[in-house]
Amino acid sequence: MLFSRNWLAEYVELPADTAELARRLTLAGLAVETMEAKGDDFVLDIDVTTNRPDCMNHLGVAREIAVLYDRPLKRPPAAPAETSEAASAAARVRIEDPAGCPRYVARVIRGVKVGPSPDWLRRRLESIGLRSINNVVDITNFVLWETGQPLHAFDLDKIAEGTIVVRRARPGERLTTLDGQDRELDGESLIIADAERPVALAGVMGGLESEVTDATRDILLESAHFDRKAVRVTARRLGMHTDASHRFERGADPEACAAAASRAAVLFAELAGGTVLAGEVDVRADGADWRRHGTLELARLEGFAGAEIGAADVERWLGGLGFELEPAGAGAWQVTVPSWRYFDFEPRPEPPHEVYPQDFYEEVLRIHGFDSIPSALPAVSGSDGPRTPVQIRRARVRRHLASCGYAEAINFAFQDPAADAAFPSLRPETAAIPLVNPLSERYSVMRRSLIPNLVESARFNQRRGLRAVRLFEVATVFFPREGELPDQPEHLGVICGGRLGTPWDREVELDLFDLKGVIDTLAEEMGVRLEARPATLPGLLPGNTAALFTAGGTDLIGIFGRVEAEEGYPLYVAEIAMAALGEGREGLEVEAPSRFPGIEADFTLTHSLDTSWEEIRRATAEQAPPDLVSFGLKDRYRGPGVPEGAVNTTMSFLYNSRERSLTQDEVNERQSVLRQELERRFGWRG
Amino acid sequence: MTGDPAASPEALTPNTPEGIAGLAAQLDREAEAVDGRPAWEELRLRWAGRKQGIVRTLLARLNEVEPAARRAYGQAVNSLKEHAERRLAELDETLTAREKEAARQRAAIDVTLPGRRPSVGSLHPVTLVNQEMEEIFRAMGYSVAEGPDAEDDYYNFEKLNFPRDHPARDTQDTFFLGGSQLLRTHTSPVQIRTMLSRKPPIRVICPGRVFRHDNDLRHSPMFHQIEALVVDKGITVGHLKGTLEAFVKRLFTPDTGVRLRPSFFPFTEPSAEVDITCRFCGGQGCEVCSGSGWMEIMGCGMVDPRVLAGCGIDPDVYSGFAFGLGVDRVAMARYDIPNIRILFENDERLLRQVHG
Repeated sequence: MLFSRNWLAEYVELPADTAELARRLTLAGLAVETMEAKGDDFVLDIDVTTNRPDCMNHLGVAREIAVLYDRPLKRPPAAPAETSEAASAAARVRIEDPAGCPRYVARVIRGVKVGPSPDWLRRRLESIGLRSINNVVDITNFVLWETGQPLHAFDLDKIAEGTIVVRRARPGERLTTLDGQDRELDGESLIIADAERPVALAGVMGGLESEVTDATRDILLESAHFDRKAVRVTARRLGMHTDASHRFERGADPEACAAAASRAAVLFAELAGGTVLAGEVDVRADGADWRRHGTLELARLEGFAGAEIGAADVERWLGGLGFELEPAGAGAWQVTVPSWRYFDFEPRPEPPHEVYPQDFYEEVLRIHGFDSIPSALPAVSGSDGPRTPVQIRRARVRRHLASCGYAEAINFAFQDPAADAAFPSLRPETAAIPLVNPLSERYSVMRRSLIPNLVESARFNQRRGLRAVRLFEVATVFFPREGELPDQPEHLGVICGGRLGTPWDREVELDLFDLKGVIDTLAEEMGVRLEARPATLPGLLPGNTAALFTAGGTDLIGIFGRVEAEEGYPLYVAEIAMAALGEGREGLEVEAPSRFPGIEADFTLTHSLDTSWEEIRRATAEQAPPDLVSFGLKDRYRGPGVPEGAVNTTMSFLYNSRERSLTQDEVNERQSVLRQELERRFGWRG
Repeated sequence: MTGDPAASPEALTPNTPEGIAGLAAQLDREAEAVDGRPAWEELRLRWAGRKQGIVRTLLARLNEVEPAARRAYGQAVNSLKEHAERRLAELDETLTAREKEAARQRAAIDVTLPGRRPSVGSLHPVTLVNQEMEEIFRAMGYSVAEGPDAEDDYYNFEKLNFPRDHPARDTQDTFFLGGSQLLRTHTSPVQIRTMLSRKPPIRVICPGRVFRHDNDLRHSPMFHQIEALVVDKGITVGHLKGTLEAFVKRLFTPDTGVRLRPSFFPFTEPSAEVDITCRFCGGQGCEVCSGSGWMEIMGCGMVDPRVLAGCGIDPDVYSGFAFGLGVDRVAMARYDIPNIRILFENDERLLRQVHG
């Protein structure tokens, strides 16, 4: 919001150094974003926060400056010379919607000569980027930017029966606004009407027909207070935003109506040769009261700040800002909030109109300056609490994936509905939650799986020419729940593919078992047992896809497989529910190794391709001879020498006793028994 | 080497000690010419061979020597024998050393060849910065609280004192999920959930994903925040300042200055923007900080009494402070990442450069 230094200087004596002024304003809560020399003037761009509509005008900012520099505030003249004719005889006001318009002040000025504004007025408006239109309109804009009160000048002759009615629009009513747009109104829109039809959108914009023109002689000046919500709804429905609506939406000063109207009347007489009728038509909704109170105690203020603050300063600062202070015992005041700060001082639940003292602390401290408050650390000892199991688990999973060579990715939590449908979810019976207002179709549903976005990330890397991709992500997915927030479990997603390294590095072509190895070691690390079962899932290649379960369980907790659609090298992807990876404290215990050396052995079993490794593994575990501490797959071979439909599985075994060194003969004997059993059960029979 | 024919055992004429002594000089000459193991072996056989060696031959002739001269002859031959053995041993040593050296040279490799790289993964810059901040706060006794990404208006706005029809609650910024559900626009709802579920004293940080309806070079529709909340009896604005200072000095550098600029957030009162000394110019004023010497980094304030009361905490008894900042911006600054979009592209060439 733009402010002119010269304009401000009309109300308060300014420091010579504008940069210093900007710094002080910034540190008091009026952030000066830029400062630009413009002729003999400086234009300050101030970021006025939404709670300070009182500073969205020059007098308001000048009031702050007056307090910051302890200088008097000079108010402009606001007592017009009036004729004997009463305004109330020339204009009538009826408020039909007191909630939307708790107060309406009208003044009448006769015999104005519409014409160009004097230079000083044009300069003022142009300095803050406004365009001069004619003396009447310029005066209303000037008073808005001087006092913050939006005004509107109607051509009195165009107001049927000189009557102003504030009401909601009737369905089907239309109004052509000052910007030339013909607008259809609805029952939510708050409007100003005359005896017959709408003449303005209340607090937003006037109508074209009742606009002041060169032919205008008499003016009905509106200075009203419109409800924040009513203006917001009206403006929003019509997609409008004006200087007036900006202020009303944030809360204009309800008590400024009369003073602003009088101030404008002074200018109409002075600059447009008008005659001001006596008094004003001032209609107030019943019970309208814009006073709020609270108690301020110095000791509590200082306790809250953690700093010493003098009582004299408190009185001077708050008094300068318009608060009324009544002493209420030693070091305490009963404080009344000025009407222009009414909306910023939300009352506490009880008693009515009473505000929290913190509201006053804020005022005092921003003038006092945060710089002047000594820093300290709160004296709370010990710890608020340890890491939660979920946090421990997450950290361990991340560390494991990184130690397996994977890079952590972060994707958006929303995705393309087509991608959602193209890949599996651990909860296939659910539907993706759509966003009401997505950025685009591509980001229009919440993810039910980490896979689609990871595939997208992998493809991005493939397209950029990377020979291999290895990414993982730990993040939430979203499943709808009836009548409550979505279920938002945390999942792990992993994707890999391509060729790693060079012949020098001992090149590896990543495949499904590289991915599965990550899952296997992760399960081991986390102390849980997972089981893979062949599965058919959307988007993954049949025969190369598995569903994961907790060992022996029936709840689907993960999936992995080869991505069916291929661009370049194949991709392998996995997703696991983090909850299936335990509470973060399992798998920590170790077993002390035997002090005797172990003996290794292996043998090759020729068996049907239909026999799964899992069957052989389980049978071996069941038949495990004494002292067999581990066994595993050493190699698989199909080709010359192996019958069609069969495969050679070479297994390795490690025997080790805690009590003694085993002999080769003992091991051979046990191996032979085991081998016969496995041959009997699985051996190739042609 | 064939040796000097004059010295062949068959042709040996010297039978005097002087003559034998002369053979030593010949041995030396022949030894000089030895250039490798085969030549050495030839030399050994010729002079010290058990059957046909010169020394052996000379000894065998002892009988042919006059008895009176035998003693001197024997001594001369012995002396030649010792000389031959010593020379051969010396030569052997030299040759062995030379052979070892040659073998070493054959085994030498180019140590400047690149090492074989073990597979090393990486954590995301946002994760690393989050971890770093968590560590700083854990050391100050804070715990980490978490909450859902998909939130209810009640926690995201209402309990945070955002009036229903206030411009501060601009719908343009929020992603809605239907009904009163939305994607949280900040991690502050976690503060509400914490205060509703616990009694003071409270010291938590709330890290997490947040969402705003914004998408350009400077804004990402999803980003990350971390917020801190302290509630207890006697918490002051001075405590807020002190904690902020301790935090930024540890996160950045010990000489980082902090400035609080009053501002407005519905859920804190007073509220302030937190500026730190510009990292690019050290406070002198530069292009990045528009000459001010300060960079805005976060928002903070004393928890609004309405928010405390709404969570069942008596604002006349308790007070608290809160502050929050964007993790992504800190990560970008730390790793010199020029725009926030790059942070979520997941280009492995970027991710794998990140070290924590």
